Amino acid sequence: MIRPTDPDNYLGKPPGWPLRFLRLFVKKEYLEEIEGDMEEIFRDNVERVSLKRAKRIYTWEMLKLLRPILLKNMEGIEKLNQYGMFKNYFKVSLRGLMKNPLNSFINIFGLAAAIGICVFLYAFAQWTFSTDQFHKNKNEVFLTTFFADRDGSLQQYGITPRPLGELLRHDFAQIKKVCRVEDRSVVVKYDDHVFNERIRYTDPEFLEMFTFPLKWGVSSSLADVNSIILSEKMSIKYFGEENPIGQSILIRFDKDRSKAFKITGVAEDFPTSRTIDFAFLINFENFRTSDPGYNFHDWSRLVNATLIQVGHPDDLKSIERGMDKYRKLQNEAVKEDRAISSFAFEPLATLHKRSENIADDISRSSDSNYTSVLFLSIIGVFLLALACFNYINIAIVSAAKRLKEIGVRKSIGATRSVVILQFLIENVVITCFALILGLLLGWTVVIPWFENLWHFNMGFRLNDFNLWIYLPTLLLITGVASGIYPAFYISRFEVVGILKGSVRFGNKNPLTKIFLGVQLVLACIFITMAVAFTQNTNYLAHRGWGYNQDEALYAVVPDQQAYEKLSALMTRNPNVLAISGSAHHLGKSQATTVLHFPDREYEADQLSVDANYFETMGLQLEAGRGFNDYDGSDKQAVVVNDLLVKNMAWENAIGKLFRIDSIQYEVIGVLKEFHSYSFSKPVRPTIFRVAAKEDYRFLSMKVRSGSEVETYKTLQAGWAALFPETPFNAGFQEDVWGFYYQEIEIHGHVWRVFASVAVALASLGLYGLVTLNVSGRLKEFSIRKVLGAGVKNIAANIINQYLILFAVALTIGAPVSYILIKLLIDFAYKYHMPVTFWSVSIGVGILVFILLATVSTQIRKVVNTNPVNGLKVD
Amino acid sequence: MKKTKLGEFEELVLLTVACLQEEAYGVEIKRELEERLKEKLSVGSIQSALKRMEQKGFLTSAFGEATQKRGGKRKRIYTATPYAHRILADMKEIRASLWNAIPAVIGARLAHELKAI
Repeated sequence: MIRPTDPDNYLGKPPGWPLRFLRLFVKKEYLEEIEGDMEEIFRDNVERVSLKRAKRIYTWEMLKLLRPILLKNMEGIEKLNQYGMFKNYFKVSLRGLMKNPLNSFINIFGLAAAIGICVFLYAFAQWTFSTDQFHKNKNEVFLTTFFADRDGSLQQYGITPRPLGELLRHDFAQIKKVCRVEDRSVVVKYDDHVFNERIRYTDPEFLEMFTFPLKWGVSSSLADVNSIILSEKMSIKYFGEENPIGQSILIRFDKDRSKAFKITGVAEDFPTSRTIDFAFLINFENFRTSDPGYNFHDWSRLVNATLIQVGHPDDLKSIERGMDKYRKLQNEAVKEDRAISSFAFEPLATLHKRSENIADDISRSSDSNYTSVLFLSIIGVFLLALACFNYINIAIVSAAKRLKEIGVRKSIGATRSVVILQFLIENVVITCFALILGLLLGWTVVIPWFENLWHFNMGFRLNDFNLWIYLPTLLLITGVASGIYPAFYISRFEVVGILKGSVRFGNKNPLTKIFLGVQLVLACIFITMAVAFTQNTNYLAHRGWGYNQDEALYAVVPDQQAYEKLSALMTRNPNVLAISGSAHHLGKSQATTVLHFPDREYEADQLSVDANYFETMGLQLEAGRGFNDYDGSDKQAVVVNDLLVKNMAWENAIGKLFRIDSIQYEVIGVLKEFHSYSFSKPVRPTIFRVAAKEDYRFLSMKVRSGSEVETYKTLQAGWAALFPETPFNAGFQEDVWGFYYQEIEIHGHVWRVFASVAVALASLGLYGLVTLNVSGRLKEFSIRKVLGAGVKNIAANIINQYLILFAVALTIGAPVSYILIKLLIDFAYKYHMPVTFWSVSIGVGILVFILLATVSTQIRKVVNTNPVNGLKVD
Repeated sequence: MKKTKLGEFEELVLLTVACLQEEAYGVEIKRELEERLKEKLSVGSIQSALKRMEQKGFLTSAFGEATQKRGGKRKRIYTATPYAHRILADMKEIRASLWNAIPAVIGARLAHELKAI
């Protein structure tokens, strides 16, 4: 890196935002002097203390400058006629809050909880929308893709023919930069650190097209074939916190070929919202040494990605028009079934969104995050609505207590609009408190909770400009939405009626009931969701994979000799019941192949295995037989899964014929349904073939139940003795789905939290309503008690009011929840438990219990109070 | 003393302005006072004292030169008005007469104690 020589830059500039802040608030005529003073002091400080410290002093001093005498004219406000009135409104609101601590708590806490979740929502949306947006050239860089016809539908692929990159670079003046990307598995060795890693071969332009700044080193060094650039994570893995620049690291490409690379760069920590990154980067030309058979000009072979950068996004059209000649070249080189129909370019800026529909591209898909944002927004709006309903209900009911105040205000000249304004202001004050509390909640509780669940960092910052647009908008919407109806409602009453005492209202308002009803419906939906997702998590945890994953272990082997040595060693182990070698492995690797039928082409997954594989893994045959166990057997036989049979609409699959690469194969067996990858991925049509011994890359074992850990340790020890130079790469079969089970458990967890918040909000609202209702009828209940009413009578009296409401809400809520779970669970999971009314019943049961518990607290209060106290009022 | 309303800190700032003469602008005043008082002062406190005294008529000000170090911003040079000089002189006199009124022995002890603090 070149050190800036400009003295101004070298010394460092004061931070910009305090200055902008100052300009906003301080009187214009003072600005020049103060700015100058501050800058001068900053320069002095830079010479004395560290730049960081000087900046801190600068910022702090700026804040301390906000003194009344220096600020822009604020005294003008006092001259406003209404100033006194506004001041009074604030005072009245604050006093109101103090007077009814319970109601204030329900209102503020409820709103704060909802706002906290909205703040989290913002952070998550912000994180999602910023995916890959940190690349400076995101609008000029494009991934080359092609479309091809696969079994009747057009499929887009993110891989490209090998020679295309070089041709693009020479044939189009509009294309400024090109880089090819190929990933390979290698062994990386430094001192005694030996690990299997993925390494990325690419052109030096990679680091110019993508914005991955380096922490140490120079990015242009990638032009040298002996250089290697590491990600920060890898640098820490191999070298700790030390600067590894200049160190030499050994890459073993395969058994015979290895090369020492000099580390010339370490990337800065990647932003968390990215879909493309790397662990190790080396020059593409290294294929000449690492893989002498690598033909750069072979049109029938593909590279993982070819990216181009154009001068202007509009140049793309002319490039696309010129792509047809490559299509012809490509289609001449490959067989008919691999023919492509067109080339297309995908901009980097939106690649992560489109990635879901592009096969084999280097970018991860962010599709699920966008869906989550949508769902979370709906949840956020619902929770906010729940909190607003609480506020509205309590405001309407408690207005009875403020009738006199309104009467007096009106009689001394307040018009209706003034009263409305007063109530709205009151509301904004409450929402303001809620907003502050909510921001704190979101920042310190909800966001860390979510980040901990998923182990990532959303990069939420308080000094985010958009956040400060979002929050006031939220404040205004919530404040007005919750305040407008009570304000209109309360201000409607005639002065004479109020002061005469003939107006009685609050308890009979039908809207209160409707709001409460809607709350209950929402709470019902949330609870049912939580129940259903929790049940589904349990269900999936116990759902079988279609084979015996619990008692199987696997190990990755480099070649046939290694397989045979390891196999010989493990056969002697009494805990091992069966051993099998294979080129692919369930949940770890497979190939994709095209089956030719006379009338159609069909794409399927393919695994090459040996004769013992089905028995070792516990795969069950539905019809036919497995492979025979002697050399050269069943070379042209395949075993297929039942989905393939179903898709082919075969009555009897055994004996059916098809070709792969012009060799004819016969179906000899059909396997029952099994899941290679997690339940979140659909089962794909799959065929099994016999693997050639020299292709063995996996060793799988069936072990005696209960001896899994012990056998794993033996395997590890055996490996270390046999192959001290090769990293050990093995595992329990039940772990191959990675974090799948943790992930679905998190879904359940998230729903339970949201449901708790929703139920808490609804029951808080109900509690507030019942409390107000009961305290308004204290006299009545006291008289009833004096006349001999028992617990039953009083309980019936209180509950009766709500009984119909509960019944109506639940009869609407239950079927709605049922339909919604069906929709949502179908959407979220490819394979899930059968949805029954059972989850809804549990949900409704929990809700009814909570409602009754809430109401009964008030019944107890009435029953336990002395009727004399109730009658003494007034 | 009655209507002058010159606070203790303001008085110190005013005296500093008076002694710095043409050099009396924000940063220099702050530096000088910090040195004499042996404590850190914030720009805000100095500025608000200056502005207040300007409003009360103790100070006048005019733009001075701009330097590179100030990012090209001009200094504002403060000058104490004759009125301020009179008030300062008055106060000094009142204080001096009060000091003189303290009986000598007690005065010495008081001065000693003050030093100890």
